[in-house]
Order: sequence, then structure tokens, then C-alpha cells
Amino acid sequence: MVDIAGILLTGLQQGAIFALLGLGLTIILGTMEFLNLAHGALYLVGAYMGLFIVREVSVQEGLLAGIAGDPTAVGLGSSFLVALILTPILMFVIGVAMERFVARPLYDRTEVEQLLLTFGLALIIEELAREFVGSQPFSSYAPDKLLGFTVGGQADVPLVGLYPRWRFVVIGLAFLLIGLSYLIIERTDFGLIVKAGTRDSEMVRMLGIDITRSYALVFGVGAALAGLAGLVGGTIIDVAPGIGTNNALVPAFLTVVIGGAGSVVGAIAGGIILGMVAAVFQFQAPQWSQIVLFGFVAVFLLVRPGGLFGSVEVGE
Amino acid sequence: MSDDAETDGGTAIEVTPEDGNLVDRLVAAKDGERFVAVAAFVGVFAMPFVLIDVLGVFDTLIGLSLGGFVGLPTLILSFGIVAVGYNLLLGYTGLLSFGHAALFGSAAYAAGIFSNNVVASPLLAVVVGIAVATLLSWPIGFLSIRRSGVYFAVLTLTFGQMLYFYAFGPGSWLTNGDDGYTPFDVAGGPDLLGFLAMDASITTLFRDITGLTLTLTDGLDMTVGYMLAGLVGVLAIVVAHRIIKSPYGLILKAIGQNEQRVAFVGLNVFRYKLMAFILSGVFAGAGGALYALSKAGLTVHPDATLYWVVSGDFVIITAVGGVGSLAGPLIGAVVFEYIRLVVQGITVPGTEFQIGSLWRLLLGVVFVVVVTLFPDGIYGGLSSLGDRLVERFGAATDADTDDRRPVEEVEETGGDD
Repeated sequence: MVDIAGILLTGLQQGAIFALLGLGLTIILGTMEFLNLAHGALYLVGAYMGLFIVREVSVQEGLLAGIAGDPTAVGLGSSFLVALILTPILMFVIGVAMERFVARPLYDRTEVEQLLLTFGLALIIEELAREFVGSQPFSSYAPDKLLGFTVGGQADVPLVGLYPRWRFVVIGLAFLLIGLSYLIIERTDFGLIVKAGTRDSEMVRMLGIDITRSYALVFGVGAALAGLAGLVGGTIIDVAPGIGTNNALVPAFLTVVIGGAGSVVGAIAGGIILGMVAAVFQFQAPQWSQIVLFGFVAVFLLVRPGGLFGSVEVGE
Repeated sequence: MSDDAETDGGTAIEVTPEDGNLVDRLVAAKDGERFVAVAAFVGVFAMPFVLIDVLGVFDTLIGLSLGGFVGLPTLILSFGIVAVGYNLLLGYTGLLSFGHAALFGSAAYAAGIFSNNVVASPLLAVVVGIAVATLLSWPIGFLSIRRSGVYFAVLTLTFGQMLYFYAFGPGSWLTNGDDGYTPFDVAGGPDLLGFLAMDASITTLFRDITGLTLTLTDGLDMTVGYMLAGLVGVLAIVVAHRIIKSPYGLILKAIGQNEQRVAFVGLNVFRYKLMAFILSGVFAGAGGALYALSKAGLTVHPDATLYWVVSGDFVIITAVGGVGSLAGPLIGAVVFEYIRLVVQGITVPGTEFQIGSLWRLLLGVVFVVVVTLFPDGIYGGLSSLGDRLVERFGAATDADTDDRRPVEEVEETGGDD
């Protein structure tokens, strides 16, 4: 009983991060029909951003180590709250720039070319990270205090037993962000335009709405979400150049595939399902967990190609 | 689509103008099988010389270590063969697979396991590698092809990753997991047909047979292993050429351009796509087995064979070299492996600056630049340059060249689907 509750909590926490990632990917995919393989790289940037805002770390390798000289401590050493405000703003700007300079020239190209180019971009960002800060992993940067509350250490929770406090914060934070994005997309005019653009972008343009601006905004929001996922993810796992593809891109894609491309609810549901499946098997049969995870997605794709909430298949 | 083959109800016709000057005749001959075979043979066996000796001249002249090392050509060949097959899928049939590492890696492991448990015969290992990859590509293709576009890519990725994690964890009893598997773990290394040691070089063989000492440069002094790999490579190129030029290949190409219309004509698109997948699996198997051979006595690791990044490497090789052409993937393999294994060791003369780990960054930049500027890859860029030269120096009239309108252009005016 104790185990099950703990597993479910871990699954929920993983799933919340997957949902954040999938949400960013799916709104870009749904709105612009643009496949962004660099989504994981945005997660990576967010994680490093968080690291250097929250911590003052000693960089041993890479160009940054050379610039910083001796002592090689780099970073602001500020609070997590600052990172929580700064990261989405910076990532939004990066996202808007990416839309303008990377995505826009590619809207008319084929799906395969979009995949190839964003794949190349992901490669470049990952390698730039490796060049600047080296391949060394930095330990995760979960804070001890947030807004005066103690968030470090373990909490004794009924049913679960001792469980890290920070993980509860992560779950809460992720769902807060997911809820916010959901409201923006479902309840605001901006969201309405974006959703209309998914159906028929030409018609939206004919109504006198500048859809290219909405595209830039959507890309910015998607990037901000990926960055936030990275920021939150970096408090749980070690930060290293490889996490962008391994811990973000692949789960984000799987999330979108399960939830259905372009579906906000789908991304949330998909993320949580994926997180749960992963958590259960990590406990029960760690060696098989990844195999089962991928197998699960494969079966899902074959049986329900449109995903849980998707209406259209991308590329059909 | 710069081929000169025209269609006539499904039969490929070679355009062979008997008239015209030398340039025209060369252009006409360039698609003939004999020409391809000879070119492949010359290319494959001249490659070590060019990479090691010719580029090595810079080492001695200006101290820039541009020269390759002895094992490089074999690796280029094994990846090149996979890419040639992969191109049948991506370049012709238009299917982007992110799971070819599964086929490549399984073949490498199968060849290795066979060599240690049954018989350490390089030839049989290649056969086993091909057989395993082919048998594996059947179910993976059968399931994945049910979905298209990104979903196809994700499905192939999931199958590949399942194999990767299996080899890493639960399958360790077979693959030795993270420690890596040592193929051809036999004393003195494997030998071909029981008497030719794979690492014996031409000079050694010559000395043993004639008693005379022959002096060759590093690049010309090929090993028996490379000759086997080279012959498999030439064979693969010729087979791929035959497939591409056959009516079957034309149908694959047609599916890549407009799947719906091929279905309208009454052809079973699913079956053709599956065959394209399996065919690419055959090539991946040959490449994987050769890879295992090149690692004889060393280790084969899941990260270097089964991991999805390796699948990404095949995509990069094919796209950088040029999709939809025979030479493209081979050029891509040379460029990719050269950057990966040689450029990273370069130290900029006069400074302490080493390229080192920058190679992947460089590769990414090369990849993005090529895909942006030359959608048809390096080979596409070169051949359009070549076309311009032919137009300039060929005797054929302008009308002739106008006739050869790119297929895509016709497609665009053909209405929407």
C-alpha cells in the first residue's frame, strides 16, 4: 500500500514534467503543423538557465571555464523564484526568434525537411552546451526554501510515508503552469485565434488577423513551456548536455503521440499516463522499464493512431 | 531526380545517344550498370589511398593532420552500405525511419555472436548479419508502415529503442550489456576461407607467395579485411543500382512522390513500402556485419550500434550526401566519418587549438547548411553543377535538355491531391 502510493506520486511528478514538455510541443505542432525536434534542446537550455541562476557552480571544462578563470565559479546564486520568472521570459524571446529565423522559412518545406533541419539545430545546441560548460553533469539544484517555506528534505505523508517535499512542489508547480496554459488557449482571444489557425489559417488571415504574429507567440509560449520543464526537471535530475534528447525530446514526442497531436488535454493526459507507466516499471522491473515504455507507445500507436484526443494524424 | 531514365508504361529505357561528342557519351554511360560497377570498384579501392596517403601529404607539408588512419575506410564502407540501403527508403520511397540502428546493430551483434559460438568465418558472419537484419526488418516494417509521416518515424524509433534497452539490460547474457561484446574473439584474429588472415596485408601475402618484398604506401597496402569489405561494398552498390533502375525502383520512386496516385493505378502501396523497408534492412545487415568484422577482437557497444542516435547518423549521412541518388549516401558516409574520426584529431597549426569534441558541432553546422542550401545534398549540388557543365560543353541541343524536366516540376503543375 505504502509502495503503491509512492509509485503513483513519482509517476505523477514525472508525468507532470512530461505533460509540460508535450504541451509545448503539441501547440506548436497543432498550430503550425511544424515538427520541432529542437524541443528537447529548449529543455536543455532551460535546465542550464536554471542552474546558472540558482547556483554558483564550478565549471571545470569547456570554454566557460577558460573565461571564468580562477576561481571558476559561474552563476548568479540567486533564488529559485528568480529563475522561475526569468527562465520563461528568456525562453519566450528565444522561441520568438526561433520562429522567425528557423521555423518560418520551413513552413512550406516538406515534413522530412523540417525534421532534418530541427534535428540538426538540436545537435548544434547540444554541442554548443558541451563546448561551453563541458560534458560534466551538474548535480540537480532543488532549493531548500521557497517563499519562506521549507521545501527541502523529506515530509512524512500519510499513506506514502517519507517522501521528498520538493517533489510535491514540482507536481503543484507543473500543474499550475499547465492550468495557466490551458486557460490561455481555451479562454482567451489569443487562444481562439491560435485554435482557429489550426483549422484554417487562410480563413483567419482573411478575417484581418495577423496570424504570423500569433505563430511567433505560440512558438514563444511553446519554448517557454519547454524551458520551464527544463528548469523544473533540472531540480530532480543532474544537468548534462545529453538530457535534452534523452530526457526531454523522446518523452515529449511519446507524450504527444499518446495524447494526440495538437490536443492540449491529450498532452496532459498523455504525459501523466506515460509518467505512471514509467514509474510502475521503474519500481517493479527497472531493467525492463524503458522497453515496456517504448513497447507501450508502439502498441498505442498501432491501435489508436490518432492518440487519445487527437482528431487528425500529422502527415496523413 | 537527375536521372535520364524515362518511363514507358513501367519499363525503364536507357537513353543512349550514339551521336554527340565525348561529353554526351559519358553522360549517357554514367547510368549503365557496367559503368557503375567499375566506378564503384575504383572508388572503393582508391579510397584508402586518397584518404590516407593523398590527404596525409598535408601532415608532412604543413603539419596539418588531415590524413586518415588505416581503419577509417572500412568504417566508411560499413556505414556507406547502410546509407545506400537507407536511401532506398528515405530518398526514393520517402519514408523517414529513425530505427535503422536496430537493424544495423542486430546484424553486428548477430555476426559477432555467430563468430564466437558457431564458426569465426567472416563470409558466413556477413550472411548471418544480413539474414538477421532481414528477418528483423520484416516485422518492424510490417508494423511501422501502417502509419506514415512522423508516426512512422516514432514507431521505428520505439522498436529500435526497445532493442537498445534490451541489449543494455535484460539481454546482457547475450550481448554482454554495457561492457560491450567482443566479436571474432579468436586467437590470431579471424581468417577468410581458413587460410587468409583478415589483418594480413597485400604486401605480406605477396611476400609469402613470391618471396619478394613489395613496398607500398599505407593507403595502397590494404588488408584482406578491407578487400572483403570493399567487395561487399561494390556488390551492394551494384545491387542498389539495379533496384533503382528497375521498374520496381521506379514504383518506389513514384510512391515517394505521390503515394495516392500509385494506389489509384492499382498497385499495392503497402507491399512496395514493406519491400523497400526490407531491402534497406538487407543493406543495414551487410553494413552491420562488416562493422562487427572491423571490430574483431575489440568491442561492439549498444551505444555505437543500437542507440537511436546511430539511426540519426544514418539520416544525416544520407541527407548530407544527397537523397535520391546512388552516390549521395556514399559521399555522405565519407564526409561524416571523416569529420567524426579525422577532423576531431586535427590541431590547428601554429596554435594549441584542437578541434576535438567540436566535431559534432561542426557536423551539425555542415548538416544544417547542406539541408538548407542544397536540399538534394552534396551530390545534388555537385550534379547540378555537372549538368551546367554538360550543357556548356555537350553537343546536345537545348531542346534535348529542356525535355528532361525534373519530375517534381511536372508534379507541381499536376494539380493538388
